[in-house]
This record gives sequence, C-alpha cells and structure tokens, in this order.
Amino acid sequence: MIKAIVDNIKGLYSLLVGLFITGRYGLGPFPAWLKLQKPENGYPQLTTHYPWQTIEPENLVNFRGPLELVPAEDDPAQSRCVSCLMCVKGCPSGCLTVVKGDQGKAPKVWLSDFSLCSLCGACVEVCPAGALRYSHDLYWVEEKRENLVNDLLAKLAAPRKASL
Amino acid sequence: MTSLFVNPFHFSTISENPADMLGDFYSNNFEKKRVDPDSMILNLGPQHPSTHGVLRVLAELHGEYVLRAEPVLGYVHRMHDYMGQVKTAAQFLPNTGRVDYLHPVAWNWAYVGAMERLAGLEVPERAEYLRVICCEFNRIASHVMWWGAFVLDLGGVTPILYAFEEREKINDLLQIVTGSRLTLNSMRFGGMGGDVDDRFLRLAREFIPWMRERLKMYDQLVTGNVIFRRRLSGVGPMDEDLCRRYGATGPVLRGAGVAYDTRRAEPYSVYSHFDFDIPVAETNDCLGRYLVRLREIEESLKILEQALAQLPGGPIKHPKAPKATWKAPAGEAYFAVEGARGKIGVQVVSEGGKSPYRVKLRSPGFSNLSLFAEAAEGTLLADALAILGSLDLVIPEIDR
Repeated sequence: MIKAIVDNIKGLYSLLVGLFITGRYGLGPFPAWLKLQKPENGYPQLTTHYPWQTIEPENLVNFRGPLELVPAEDDPAQSRCVSCLMCVKGCPSGCLTVVKGDQGKAPKVWLSDFSLCSLCGACVEVCPAGALRYSHDLYWVEEKRENLVNDLLAKLAAPRKASL
Repeated sequence: MTSLFVNPFHFSTISENPADMLGDFYSNNFEKKRVDPDSMILNLGPQHPSTHGVLRVLAELHGEYVLRAEPVLGYVHRMHDYMGQVKTAAQFLPNTGRVDYLHPVAWNWAYVGAMERLAGLEVPERAEYLRVICCEFNRIASHVMWWGAFVLDLGGVTPILYAFEEREKINDLLQIVTGSRLTLNSMRFGGMGGDVDDRFLRLAREFIPWMRERLKMYDQLVTGNVIFRRRLSGVGPMDEDLCRRYGATGPVLRGAGVAYDTRRAEPYSVYSHFDFDIPVAETNDCLGRYLVRLREIEESLKILEQALAQLPGGPIKHPKAPKATWKAPAGEAYFAVEGARGKIGVQVVSEGGKSPYRVKLRSPGFSNLSLFAEAAEGTLLADALAILGSLDLVIPEIDR
C-alpha cells in the first residue's frame, strides 16, 4: 500500500521533470521569450530559412552538387576535357552524353542529365584530365524534367546566375 | 437492372469464384486460414503512419486482440541484389547506400569489405579509422532517429523534434567526409573517398560531450517517464529461442539477453583496438530493447572518443587500389558488419567477369520482422504496434 503511494508520487515527479524539459525548450532561455534578450543569445538556430538565408560556403566544402566542368588554365571558357569517354563508361546511371569534336580533343557536346544522376562521383574520380567537379549549385529548381539536362559546355561559357 | 446494383455492404467470404471475393491475393489467402469465424481482418498499411513507410500488416482481430498477424512485403522492392549482378563492382557501390537510408555507411562497408576480402586488397590504417568514425556517427544518428520515431509511435510527439537536432549535427559532420547528407557513399575499394579536416575533428570532439548531456535529457524526458515505462514493460517478450529460430540479430537479439555483436564475434577492421561493452537487456520486453539502444549510443560515443584520439596519419587510399574499370577476380567472399539494426552480410561470387556472378545482401531488418508474426500473436493491437516499433524497421532495407 505504502509502496504503491510512493510509486505514484515518483511517477508524478517524473512527469513534472518531463514537462519542465519540454517547457524549457519550448520557451527558450527564460528572458528570451519576454524579448528582453536578443535571439542570438538564445538557443542556436539549426536550420537555414532558405529564401532569406543561404548556406555559408564553409558548410559546403565537400558538398556534392550537380556536375560542372573545370575551366582550363589558359582559357576559362574552355574545358580540360579530352573526350576520352571514361566518365560515360563508368557512370552507373548512364546520365552522361559526350560527343567528340571535329578537330582536336575538345568535346562538341557535353550533357549531364541531372534527373538520372545519383551523385555517386564515379565520373569525377575516373577522369584522367581532372575536368569534372561538383558544383555548389544548391538552389537549382526546374519545373520540367527535360530542363534538368544540363549543358555543361554552355554553362562553362556563361555561368548560370545564382537563382534567388 | 438488378445486375447494376452492387450491395456496398456485401462482405467478402470464401467463394468458389475468385472474382466474387473482395481484397487482393494476400488478404484472400489470409482469410482462408481464419481461426475464428467472428473475427475481423484488418489491413494495417501499406500507408499506415505508425508502420514506418510502406509495410503492410494483415491482422486478424478478435476485439482488441490480435489472433494472427502477417507482414506483407515488397512494396519498395528495387532488385538491389540483381542490380549488383548487372553492374560492375564500382557502379553498384552507390546503390548500397540506398538500401538502408538510416545507416548507409554500414552497407557501404559490407559491400566494400566483401570485395576487399575477395580480391585480397589492403586498406591503410587511417582509412580503417575513418570508416569506424563514420560508421559510429551514423549509428548514433540512426538510433537517435529510431528513438524519436518509436516514441512518436507510442503517442509522444515532442521527442522526435529533439532527435532531429542531433541528427542534423551528425549530418553536418558526415557531409564533410562524404559530401552528401542521406545516401552516403564515401568508401572505395582499398580505402576511403574523402578525408577529414581540422573542422571535422574540432566539431566531432565538441559533439561527444554534448551528446552525453543530451542522453541525460533523454533519460529525464522519456526513459524516466512513468507512463512510458508502464506502457512498455512486459510488452512483447522475445526470448533467446525465438530470436535464434528467426535469425534475429542486433539490438533485438541483445534485448533478449544474448551478448552477440558482430564487432566482437567476427572482429573486422580495427574494432579490436577499442574498449567498449556490449549492452544486454535485463528484461526481454520492449523496454529492454529500448534501453539496449540507448546504451549502444553511449558505447558508440566511447568508440568515437578513442578513435578520434588514436587517428593515425598517412594515406586514406592504398596506392594499388583498383580503378573504376576493375574486375573482381574469380572467387567467393562473405563479409559481415554490425549495422544499427543487426548483422549486415554481403556474399559476393565472382567468375572474373565484368560484373559479379552473384551478389546476396543479408539485411537484418528482414529477419527481425519475420519474428513479428509469432511475437504479436495474442497481444493487444496497440501492443503489436509497440512491438513493431521496437524492432526498428527500415522498409527499403527489408524489401531491398
């Protein structure tokens, strides 16, 4: 009998502890919800409120975005690609289309279908010329699937503006 | 005129003509084995929110009691085993991260390890340590996510919001190594594809004491809660015999009191360098399995602390590591790792061709779900859902 009463009191106390934790997290540090303290002194904001905020570059160091071609040292509008087609053979999803140019090694067509790409990095690692890398194009949105086919040569000649 | 009228209250019974029966193949077959003529057959899922994704459970109910239950699988079957046989080894590697979206690093490791064992490839020591660090971080993220989802199943909405905070921090850390946040893929045959930097090490060392503080909060908020404890204690007992018959592994088996962990039983990589315990539950009910998982987070933190302190220098990839066009040599190899849900095994058979002859993925979730039908017999429906939650199911891993 006494044990049951003690158990119930302990149980009630455990509920109060839980309520206290939820309340503390819900309201923030005590003065913050009275707006006596600046929000940055409260609990840190973990998420990025996208249209108003963007992710800082230090958080994107190794981030894998859609593919892009690395510009050549001498001419930034040209790529380093030598049209060896190693990336096309290595790609598990078959999302790359590379056509060799009429003269020289430079490619004529370089398409990457981002709707199929799984960002595995096989093409980037296999490239002997180091001509591919991941972009940090996080905010790329399209309404149609066909528009996801990315013409990398055109993008290299005229980089897309950061969409915002 | 009468033929146009369909009685909406017509109840499906066993009929000579299959076209007269309502329901599909599974529910009709399930109905044929009815135990009680007055029972009701209930379809939980495939979209029921408390069954984690597209799992469907057929249950025969007598009042609130489950007489019989049968899981129906295959709604997200993607033929991963077959894809391993038509793609080259390097091309199949990104798929392994997509088998289990909560613990992809362990699946990467199982496949990479099987190929390394088959070809006899060496891995630099720094790469082994990085694998351990990534795997343990991912295990914590998986267990924390399960903690939130399990309490959500039982009706507590708030904890999952806290769980996402930890997961977010771990995702930020793993993004530095792997470049992605969900379907991680940074292991390569013979090493790692990405290295850690000073920022990773600083954030990882800050994370460990912070996570220990959070675990104390978990105990106060959920584990100590009297409603939670009384809801779970004594529900869904699974003894050692049941787990052995169905091949259950991981926290489900350790929840039954068996100290079996692949990291100890079949030591792989550098796990023998670390000092950690294998938590075992005192009771074999849902509460026991819950406590095992929370204590596993602590053990993972212990391993992480040691691995970060001992992290050696050197290359992360063996200089003779295979290129993308590599063909696995002829032979057969099996490699097992301890995932968040249990023993993950990959069997690879190769004839020296472009792609392996056979790839078999052994997912722990499948075996753990198999015992549900027997464990749920005779329980209340609400308790059956608690059992389902305590098994920590990831449906893409079960269906593959």
